[in-house]
Amino acid sequence: MRSRNGNSPFIFTHLALIATLSFGADNYYIGYRFTAKNTQAINEKLSISKAMQPCSKKTELPALVLQRHSNESFESVLGREENQFLEFAAAQELRVKSNESFTAQHMDIQNSLILPTRCYAVEFNNESVTITATK
Amino acid sequence: MRISALLALFLTFPALHAGLFSVDDSSDTKVKCVYSGTDGHCVEPILKSQNELVITVTGQGVAPSVTASPAQAYALAKRAAMADGYRQIAERVKGVQVEGQDTIKNMMLQQSSTKTSVEALVRGANITNTSFKEGLCEVEMEIALSYSRILH
Repeated sequence: MRSRNGNSPFIFTHLALIATLSFGADNYYIGYRFTAKNTQAINEKLSISKAMQPCSKKTELPALVLQRHSNESFESVLGREENQFLEFAAAQELRVKSNESFTAQHMDIQNSLILPTRCYAVEFNNESVTITATK
Repeated sequence: MRISALLALFLTFPALHAGLFSVDDSSDTKVKCVYSGTDGHCVEPILKSQNELVITVTGQGVAPSVTASPAQAYALAKRAAMADGYRQIAERVKGVQVEGQDTIKNMMLQQSSTKTSVEALVRGANITNTSFKEGLCEVEMEIALSYSRILH
């Protein structure tokens, strides 16, 4: 719905900014999938998406603080500190799928690690980013 | 005749006394049957309510032959080792589904294959040690199982 003078986008932007400042954190959905075949990595995918609606935060869960360079995006921070984030997130909940097949001539082992997509509260500071899992 | 009857009564009385009036010690040490095995016998639970059971595994991963840098090789080998470690934890905690198939023709084994699979959601596993040597990454992982963790 547009207002007559066309100020709606301007108002909405300011409302979003006020909401972000008042809550102090953005919400992101993060999921991860890794597949290894015969103990060698063959596929890896980290999916990050900003939440369109704020996630409900019922319980306090552990947080992770990552270093952030000036004006660095969250995707860039996660890409750089992927190992740290995965160890943090995997310690909470991780799905594992494994299929092994053995014959006299052939052996095939495939392991998949799946981090279920869930919402994380991300707080941006000048030189750091604090990531908290929400449940 | 009377003497032998008296002797028999004299000998059996203490035995009866021990059986009737003694405190049954075996009832205290007897374990309650919570789970019964496939053969119908009682299986004592491994995880006790007051104890914590720690499972330790070592996952192994190999770096791919073509990588952009040694750092990438290490990172990918570590991920593969983690996947192996998580698989081992799932296998030990949840169990493995095993499927075997043998094909026999003219009384001779033609083909034999075994497939195993496991799928689980693992919570609270930690990496305790990591080593990387000659392209092989070994990750030591542990998970602590307790009733309090299960209920949360």
